[in-house]
Amino acid sequence: MNLGEGVRLVSFGILALIVLGGALGVVLAPSMVHAAFLLGLVFVGMSGLYLLLNADFVAAAQILIYVGAVNVLLLFAIMLVNRRIPDAAAGKRGLRNTIAGFVCLFVFGSLVNGVVRVPWPISTETPIANSTLRIGEQFFSYYLLPFEAVSILLLLALVGAIILARREFVPDRTESGDQPLVLPERPRAEMDETPKLPETTGRR
Amino acid sequence: MPIDVSLLNVGAIWPEIIVTLTILTLMVVDLIGGQRVAKQLAGLALLGLGLSAVVIVYQLLLQLGLIGGPVPPTESFLGSFTGDPLSLVFRGIVVLSSTLAILMAERYMYQSGAQVAEFYTLLLGATLGGMLLSGSTEMVMIFIALETLSISSYLLAGYTKLDSRSNEASLKYLLVGSASAAVFLYGMSLLYGLSGGETKLTAIAPRIVDMGFPALLALVLVVAGISFKLAVVPFHQWTPDVYEGAPTPVVAFLSVGSKAAGFALAIRFMTEAFPAYTLQWQTLFAGLAILSMVLGNIVAIAQTSLKRLLAYSSIAQAGYLLIGLAIGTVDGYASLMFYLITYLFMNLGAFAAATLFTLKTGSDDISAFSGLWRKDPFLAVCLSVFLLSLAGIPPFAGFFGKIYLFWAAFQAGAYTLLFVGLVTSVASMYYYLRVVKPMVVRPMSPEVEAYPATNWELPGMRSLQVALGVSVVATVIVGIISNPIVSLMNESIARTPPLQTAKQLSQK
Repeated sequence: MNLGEGVRLVSFGILALIVLGGALGVVLAPSMVHAAFLLGLVFVGMSGLYLLLNADFVAAAQILIYVGAVNVLLLFAIMLVNRRIPDAAAGKRGLRNTIAGFVCLFVFGSLVNGVVRVPWPISTETPIANSTLRIGEQFFSYYLLPFEAVSILLLLALVGAIILARREFVPDRTESGDQPLVLPERPRAEMDETPKLPETTGRR
Repeated sequence: MPIDVSLLNVGAIWPEIIVTLTILTLMVVDLIGGQRVAKQLAGLALLGLGLSAVVIVYQLLLQLGLIGGPVPPTESFLGSFTGDPLSLVFRGIVVLSSTLAILMAERYMYQSGAQVAEFYTLLLGATLGGMLLSGSTEMVMIFIALETLSISSYLLAGYTKLDSRSNEASLKYLLVGSASAAVFLYGMSLLYGLSGGETKLTAIAPRIVDMGFPALLALVLVVAGISFKLAVVPFHQWTPDVYEGAPTPVVAFLSVGSKAAGFALAIRFMTEAFPAYTLQWQTLFAGLAILSMVLGNIVAIAQTSLKRLLAYSSIAQAGYLLIGLAIGTVDGYASLMFYLITYLFMNLGAFAAATLFTLKTGSDDISAFSGLWRKDPFLAVCLSVFLLSLAGIPPFAGFFGKIYLFWAAFQAGAYTLLFVGLVTSVASMYYYLRVVKPMVVRPMSPEVEAYPATNWELPGMRSLQVALGVSVVATVIVGIISNPIVSLMNESIARTPPLQTAKQLSQK
């Protein structure tokens, strides 16, 4: 993207305000749903910052993954729980916030220290014009095998998710009306009450 | 950027392609056929694994020059994967362990009433992950293969959902496994940064030669991540609970297939990415080996359940195997691979015997095995052979495996490892014999009193019989024909490029 210096500066300011304001809102908002939506706003702002840095693929991935998947998942989780959590530790809130504030200040300070004091090498290379194209080429050349293997991994995860979610039932009778099947290794206490199966259980 | 497809050298992953096609066929056949084809699914899975094994053997023979001229191993997928003899041997071990696990799972699944199609799908998925892990030479591929293996394993460990111990095993495995995957990933991200953006292991090595502390930190993190898969002390806490709770055929696969893939990863990662830190990683693995041998063997003595005993025994066995890695000589790697092959048969055999006993009595207490000799001599003899072989008593395979390992350690001058290995393997005889002796001399336990006669005609029983028979025959024979197998392993290592450079480096 070829933007003028002024446009760049102004849009950076606006995006920074969105991200910072959103982040403060996430921490301070009393309702969890509001906090989750504000988090989505922060992610969108971040992706705008990536765009300013000419990282168009990262910006798109940020929207797809963080806004499209992570944030939606978060909202689902909040809405499934769907109750107002009474703040039991309301009295200690002041102390907690103070400690958290100090920790945040410490992390912020050390990050600033790192940014300022380390002599970061500044690359003079010209940015790649069409990074998405280059990433696609990498995917289909050097990273072809991992790219394909991920599809198997996702397929297995899908199968596994269905297994976990499916209602398991032990059939009372086998198809031919024989005796019921039992789990071979149910907990000991239950096992004692279960009559021992004669070995002809499965004969058809 | 035009790419020549022939440069990808896709032929190297034929075994993986076959397993993938088997997975897809299994799912489609189950979808169409439903309950009617449930009994044929195991056969289908075995067919796929068998074909894959044939291709692996063919490629191995081709590369060793036993049929036609020796073909030098070429990297495939532009450096993501290699089909060198080292990877072929380990992929063969993974496929074999999965085959035996399916053979013993058939009856188990039938009797537990769980869905079979998804079980075989996940087991083949774990196999595929292990196979890819054995051949990966690039960090993105390594991580994806590792996750394929791990996620399938978590799901398999919790497959019998109605059993609360299985749920516990799955959850524990998932939590500890995710944590260790994070540690491993952190180590790899450090390597990525330190090497200036390289993901290929061989490209990383020259760039981290003089890094000092950061590279060592990455080394420790990577070793910690791999050690979780190997289940060595102190990364073993998940092992006993998972082994006790998970379905026995799954445990059998985890104890051999998953561990073999872990060893392949360890050998490849260390020799390709850290040749400059050979002394450091060898010391690290020597420490882990000593801890595993001592702790695994001592804690095993106190166990009352056979599956827990085998869990601690597998920790100790991983310690013995680590000796081969820690000394880092060609003989060391060869004896590691040979011991892994013997361990494959004796450990899977022991789990097959445990499966059969548990299916008939519903118990795996060691005390329940008393007097089994009088009711089921076949099972008693098989289990005794496996346990005696694990203990390292001649003339069984385990004895020869240990001899080769200890001899390699002696030649490399690793006397501490040798001493600890010898002492702990003598101590281990106590707890293995504690299972064998009551089977023969003690009076029958209540479980054995009620023990029904074995009917091999029942569905799935024939497979279990085959698994037991194959394991017992192999445990007896592999020891006797150990010499050609070891020379085959030596030849495989001589023709594996990363290990050749490792050898040269250690000679300098």
